[in-house]
Amino acid sequence: MFERFTKRARTVVVHAQEIARERRSATIGSEHLLLGLFAVPDGLAATILLRLRVERADVEADLGRGAPFDAEGLARLGIDLDEVRRQTEETFGPGALDRTRAAQGRWRGGHIPLERDAKKALELALREAVRLGHGFIGTEHLLLGLLHDGRARDVLVARGVGLDGTRALVEELVRKRQAG
Amino acid sequence: MTDATQVAAAASSRDPAVGLAAVASLRGLLESLEELQVGNARAQGWSWQQIAQALRVSRQAAHKKYRRFGI
Repeated sequence: MFERFTKRARTVVVHAQEIARERRSATIGSEHLLLGLFAVPDGLAATILLRLRVERADVEADLGRGAPFDAEGLARLGIDLDEVRRQTEETFGPGALDRTRAAQGRWRGGHIPLERDAKKALELALREAVRLGHGFIGTEHLLLGLLHDGRARDVLVARGVGLDGTRALVEELVRKRQAG
Repeated sequence: MTDATQVAAAASSRDPAVGLAAVASLRGLLESLEELQVGNARAQGWSWQQIAQALRVSRQAAHKKYRRFGI
């Protein structure tokens, strides 16, 4: 399937992996693919999102920050993260702990697997491409693939972006592109 | 339930999902603290040998882990 991805669509997936890493996620979820669409601003999906007035910052706000540390898990072990943060900041300055490369997730190299909802979205992107009679999978098809199910869909639908409307918009823009 | 008994309950949790996730969280915090301390030691002119000894790891292990970040 990946061989049918356009260069931009591949770049989206690469960005999604980086975003998942930054957010310290063990898997690439549909929400990371959605954020990845914004990272390729010259893609059709980014154009469509812009037109629908969905901005990256909004989506990030909806998804939450992706905390670098798991305060709740640490509390279960009797470790007060706030206290650790306070002490390290006292010694090393404000934000010292959160600014470490480890906190920003740059330690973990290598491959992060796709979560089920992300895998499904990629399969649906292929289906959307076929449905539109396109012989390739572009960022616009990824966006449509994300609009079926999962966390990305929930965020988009809450912001008034639905599958049918977006599909119509894709068709319109592709027609224009072909005509122009 | 008091904090102490809560902690004891979690530490001895039989649910692997709870126990493993707590360990993973601890590892994340450990990595950050180690990075801060190693950076500080280097800034104060400590050699990799000294740092490794204090961390109780091999010199190669410490150097390999941190040199790519230019610490």
